[in-house]
Amino acid sequence: MKKMNDKIELGVSLYSLTSEFVTEKMGLEDCLRAVAEMGFKGIEIVAAQTVPEYPNPSDKWLFEFRDLLAKYDLKPVCYSAYIDNGLRPDRDLNHDEIVQFTYNDMLYAKKAGFSMIRTQHSISPQILEEMVPACEKLDIMLTIEMHHPHHPRVEVWEKYIELMNKYEHLGVVPDFSIFQRKPHRLLVERLVRAGFREDKLNSVLEYHEKGIPCENAIGELSLNAEEAQFTRDLYEKFNPTPLDDLKTLIPITPYIHGKFYILDNGEFDPCIPYDKILPMIQDLGYKGYIAAEYEGHHFDMSVDARQQLRYYASIFNKYIN
Amino acid sequence: MALDFQYDELMFSKSTVKNSYAGDVVYGYEFEIMYPSYRGTFLSCIEKLTVKLDGVEIDQKKMRFTLNGKQFLISELPTLCHEYWFVLDRAVITVLQDGGIPAGAKQIDVEMVHRIPYTGYFGEYLTLTSHGTLQVDNHVTEAIK
Repeated sequence: MKKMNDKIELGVSLYSLTSEFVTEKMGLEDCLRAVAEMGFKGIEIVAAQTVPEYPNPSDKWLFEFRDLLAKYDLKPVCYSAYIDNGLRPDRDLNHDEIVQFTYNDMLYAKKAGFSMIRTQHSISPQILEEMVPACEKLDIMLTIEMHHPHHPRVEVWEKYIELMNKYEHLGVVPDFSIFQRKPHRLLVERLVRAGFREDKLNSVLEYHEKGIPCENAIGELSLNAEEAQFTRDLYEKFNPTPLDDLKTLIPITPYIHGKFYILDNGEFDPCIPYDKILPMIQDLGYKGYIAAEYEGHHFDMSVDARQQLRYYASIFNKYIN
Repeated sequence: MALDFQYDELMFSKSTVKNSYAGDVVYGYEFEIMYPSYRGTFLSCIEKLTVKLDGVEIDQKKMRFTLNGKQFLISELPTLCHEYWFVLDRAVITVLQDGGIPAGAKQIDVEMVHRIPYTGYFGEYLTLTSHGTLQVDNHVTEAIK
């Protein structure tokens, strides 16, 4: 087990407050004050959102950020880095560039007081293993997020899982989007705006919910070509990996992304089965932070993210502690 | 069509159109755009940037792009791997047009094709086409000469 804490605790990714931040309704300190007031303890930043000097934050920025966290009694938990492999139009990043960028991110994380960075699946198993001595020297956990559409049986992940079992400083950050079982309300609304006839879409969702195959839905519901394509995409996307995969993942998990898209109350997420997931990770002995990661802003920027975070905290508290 | 990444409304938040002066000469007009995403990007990820004034596309050679205190040609954008566009920063697009924004101009449309550099779950980068529309009426202000 990769125990980062003595219990399961609720954190938050500032990414949740994207709408408020990018429309300048809330500055960085406003975001920190707001999540502290809501009772969140651990903080994740998506460096490419939060840091004006990305990809190379100055010491001044990092130290000021560290001091801001201390001011609101928040713990730096995860510095989320990207592998911007497609940065150049002529070629992907090469091996040595990814190694150097990753090492940079580990130093930035350490300077701001984080003990973990989250990187991405494109790092490659070879580079991940190559980074282990640096992780040990800096005592920084290097983690890869497992995000939909990936799951433990994707070939590269089989190798990652092996390495994460072997080395103490490597781990996985499961993003619970891998368990999403049906489209959330904001996506449904978005599909209707994109021209999917509402009655047809409701029938497709019924077919999907009942487990009737995609081609039956397309054949029987007289969908037009565009609707048929959306339907194929829906069936492909909402095909969750089994919850039993948590048994493979939790022993190598130091941190979790509690992804959610839209909640209508503080009781239940109709898309991601937190009512089953949260008791299960507790039973599996997980100790660490779960970061509330609200992602509805990808679909509708007018939703009040603070209300969404309060709903998520309420669901968390219903099952944990 | 991408159903997520619906941030296009950010492109023209709080924008106005100004005439651009060199001395007393009005050589064009300019307006600000933001990068429509939850995170910043590198200018090298902009694959195409077109501007239309009332439906007529502006010649790329008559456009300039200014960010981080530096001005670039549109054709230079793909080479700018180290020029980062922070998500709260506004880039200025200048259109070279003698006399500035024409009287009676109504609408500016921007289309930006941009690569999302970290995507590629199974090999392909996600490339988005973002659109922004700015109504010109009542938005023209005068730049400092």
